[in-house]
Amino acid sequence: MTADFKRLGKRGSYRLGRLRAQGVAHSQPPSPFRPRFTRRDHRWPVSVWLLGYLAGVLLIIAGAAIGWWFVPFAAGVLAGLVNWIGRWPTRIALPAVVVAAAAGWGVPLFWASLRGQPYGAQARVIAALLGLPAYSAVGVAVTLLVAAAQAVAGYWLGRALTPLPSEY
Amino acid sequence: MNVDARRARKIFQAGNGVVALAVSACLLGLFGLGYGTVPAFGRVLVPGHGAWTSAAGGKLPVSQTLSLAGLRAPVRVAFSPQGVPSVSAASDGDAFLALGYLEARFRLGEMDLERRVAEGRLAQLTGPSGVASDAFELRLGLLRTARLEWAAMPKASPAARALTAYSRGVNDYLAQVRANGQWPAQFALARVYPRDWTPVDSLAVQGELTQELDFTTTPLDYALLERSLGVRRTMQWFPVLPPNQQIPYDPGPYRKLPLAPVAGVQTAAARSSAAPAVRSAAAVVAAAARKAAATSAAAVSTASYRGAAAGCGAGCVRSRQQNPQAQAAAPSAGLARAATAILAAASALPAGQLYSAPASNAWAANGPKVAGGGAMLAGDPHLPQTLPSIWYQVALAAPGLAVSGAGVPGLPAILIGHNSRIAWSLTDTQSQATLFYAERTSPARPRQYFWDGRWRSMRVLHYTIEVRGGAARQLYVPLTVHGPVLTQDGQTVAVDWTGALGSPDEAVMLGVDEAGSFGQFRAALANWRAPALTFVYADRNGNIGAISAGYYPQVSGGDPWLPLPGTGADDVAGVIPYAAVPRGYDPRAHVLTTANQRPAGPSYPYYLGTSASFFDAGYRADAEYAYLRRHSSMQPASFAALQLSTGDQLAGLIVPKLTAALKGMPLTPLQRLARQSLASWNDQMSAGSGAASIWWTFWADYLSGVFGPWWQAAKVPVDADRSGLAVGPGQFSLDEDLQNWTLTDQRNAAFTPPPPPVAPAPGSRKPVIPPGPTPAATAMRTAFVSAVSQLSVLLGGGPGRWQWGKLHTRQFPSLTQAAALGYGPRSAGGDLWTVDAAEGGMNSEIGPSFRMIVRWKGGGASSGQSIYPGGQSENPASPWYTDLVGDWWAGTYLPMPSARQASSTAATAATGAAGAAGPGPAGAARIEWELRP
Repeated sequence: MTADFKRLGKRGSYRLGRLRAQGVAHSQPPSPFRPRFTRRDHRWPVSVWLLGYLAGVLLIIAGAAIGWWFVPFAAGVLAGLVNWIGRWPTRIALPAVVVAAAAGWGVPLFWASLRGQPYGAQARVIAALLGLPAYSAVGVAVTLLVAAAQAVAGYWLGRALTPLPSEY
Repeated sequence: MNVDARRARKIFQAGNGVVALAVSACLLGLFGLGYGTVPAFGRVLVPGHGAWTSAAGGKLPVSQTLSLAGLRAPVRVAFSPQGVPSVSAASDGDAFLALGYLEARFRLGEMDLERRVAEGRLAQLTGPSGVASDAFELRLGLLRTARLEWAAMPKASPAARALTAYSRGVNDYLAQVRANGQWPAQFALARVYPRDWTPVDSLAVQGELTQELDFTTTPLDYALLERSLGVRRTMQWFPVLPPNQQIPYDPGPYRKLPLAPVAGVQTAAARSSAAPAVRSAAAVVAAAARKAAATSAAAVSTASYRGAAAGCGAGCVRSRQQNPQAQAAAPSAGLARAATAILAAASALPAGQLYSAPASNAWAANGPKVAGGGAMLAGDPHLPQTLPSIWYQVALAAPGLAVSGAGVPGLPAILIGHNSRIAWSLTDTQSQATLFYAERTSPARPRQYFWDGRWRSMRVLHYTIEVRGGAARQLYVPLTVHGPVLTQDGQTVAVDWTGALGSPDEAVMLGVDEAGSFGQFRAALANWRAPALTFVYADRNGNIGAISAGYYPQVSGGDPWLPLPGTGADDVAGVIPYAAVPRGYDPRAHVLTTANQRPAGPSYPYYLGTSASFFDAGYRADAEYAYLRRHSSMQPASFAALQLSTGDQLAGLIVPKLTAALKGMPLTPLQRLARQSLASWNDQMSAGSGAASIWWTFWADYLSGVFGPWWQAAKVPVDADRSGLAVGPGQFSLDEDLQNWTLTDQRNAAFTPPPPPVAPAPGSRKPVIPPGPTPAATAMRTAFVSAVSQLSVLLGGGPGRWQWGKLHTRQFPSLTQAAALGYGPRSAGGDLWTVDAAEGGMNSEIGPSFRMIVRWKGGGASSGQSIYPGGQSENPASPWYTDLVGDWWAGTYLPMPSARQASSTAATAATGAAGAAGPGPAGAARIEWELRP
């Protein structure tokens, strides 16, 4: 026997049912699981953030159009700084920044191809001249990787320039 | 949060910030500036800029009107479907300006690369890998020569005007590219861009081409051979005159005339006048004149050319053997060290920068040999086959100029082609144009050398080699009266090369382009100095001819195939007078062919070079003469069949001897199959032939088996220069020796090998070969057994599986060195000695770089057809990058733009009529440009 039946119902005794220590607040039952992608405490509506995201992509595209190769980095820095306010988790913010940078350089490539520029062949040439496997996909991938790497570095720097979140 | 936690948090944040900042800075620095030879990825890969901009050059041009500064009148350019432009201009100047614009538009990267190589600025583009090339070229002095040539050229001369107009056209395109940023990708990636083009650049490119064709290091090889093999064997096995029977295109009789003086911007006189410490120019000229007089034709026969003049080969050997002074003067250890150092520097150069086996075919026929009479000419220069090609095809027309053919980007001229009255092609004469001088120096007299009776100071030039992504290198080049000092390691050795003299090639080619008769053609070539080339000719009146134009230096003493003493007694005394250089005109046989064989016979009274330096063994010429003599009423298709022939003439001579040697020898079943395969073979080195593999492997083993033991015993320093010293097919002297012995002297002492320097390891077994009736037969049996064994191991099975194409391939590498932008390797027929030659090894990168056939019909009308492996555009994204490769490989030709049609178009353009350009050569709708001032 593990219980002393004589002490049942007395103070300090073990009760059948819920274990409840004295002085410990009653915990709420867990809320049902609802998937979400933002912290509850981001400042503005998601639609505002999406618009900002789109603006960032357009900014990178515009930068590419005028030859400003460093715009993905700048956009990454900006994203890192703004996220101090937004408090989007890194697992969300970082891929978003990568995708924005890749899209910002990928869209002009795609657009030029649609307009008849032989960018597929040129991508193969670039890959070959860089000593990589001579496939168009490799040339494009390297280009997008350069944009993405900049954006990641920029985001990191942006986050490093802002105070750490309190949970750290 | 306690104090420690707060401090740790601050430290973490600061550290994170510092690391993030450092990583960002590094990344931005790398992407923005690059590092070493690593490209600035950010700048070069941003879409729409950098390397992506050259995608615009990958699109075919569209019909349009362009404004070009410098034009005097509108110029029309009509492109064939393959991108061959027909330029119609109102003046020569406008035509060459348009040519400059077109070549820059489609070949800027190639032009700039050639210019950088020639001028010693390759490392600016490629980084440290280009330093060896830059050092070599700056030392040799192509840029020095080009500058002197331009300075000496009358600026009102047609050549100067053409060079200036051409440069203007190139710079018009460069201005456009600078404005739109559409640089070829290699420039964008390296972020090193071409500067403006100048006439000096064109002359430097001309010098580079000259170097590729006739700068040789063979005398250094001879020095190493004599030191290891000994004088006697060296001269027996590498004689002046070829030991085999060859067919010269000029069989004589020959004229013996006094030597002509050397002219040029960098003669010994010019060099010495530039160097205050060296004796005056007048004195040098006077000395040279004295020597020229002393070395008249009579003197030639008794001086160093005693061999050639006496028609010897063996005679030269005797002279060396019987002359104790010659024996005493055998190359010293210091000279051998110097030779090794120079050869090492030459070996470090990129492939193709020096002579590596350029060879060519050109022949002509007339009279009954041509269907319907008239004359017909074929030419296919064998050069490194690269993408883009060394050739750019074009038709140029202006009043007085109507020429169609191929030129080298960077040079405003058509080198191979036809005008409305004559057609011509060319082959490398392959005579000796490079002499090495061992200067006498003294430790007590640094930077001085002894010449012509007294000590003289070397002039020392200083160059800074800029290196992309690395530190600049300093280079000091001492000059003697003979030329630049190539090394002072062991022995001060200077080089005297005819290419350094300067040659008015541009003026000559303009004269050829406009010539209308053999007399004019011959007169135009009179001033050609370097490289020595054999120009083959056919005209609308049914005449054919050939001239081996150029300088053939003749020294006043010594053996020119060796490094010569630099004290003055063995200097160049003059050159063969133009009236006496090999030539032919309307031969009685109605055929004439040059395929780099020695152009003249043994009785030719001047020194041209030795069997190793560096004439072809004559097998292609033999095959061509045999074909041309056998056929009559030939059509262009007949010439095409010959150009595409893969018959191996040497195999036709040797294989019967081999099969005879195998008689009576017990053979394994596999060996029997191999012998049967050879016995029924037609000597065609086709890609599917198993016998071709057996033959080639056998010949390589036969050579190694006969000469290898001698090489090992003598410790020939093969590693110093594999192409010049190693035993193997293509070492022409040895090929000729073995051919000759096999056919006529099967008991030659060379078949009895010396005792091996190292005893075979105990237990090592060599197959026992039953001796044949002669030492040669035994050697052939051994080589045959070895060949069959090698092939069965390498390819398995029997001769049915030993296709030549499995061993032998062709490849057209990209000039960018990016393997994926080249073509091949692809299984291919042919070999070193077939008319459709495949040179440069088992994966051949040298061969017919431009095939052309021009037929003159009755009434003076011509029809030309041509093809080359490549395309008109250097942009790999362009449809014109490799579009001609398929036709070249299939052996088909495309019509050349008609010079006569272009001429009439030009006349119309000159009168200002619109729509002057006629239909394209292929009859398809064409892209047309109008270039306006």
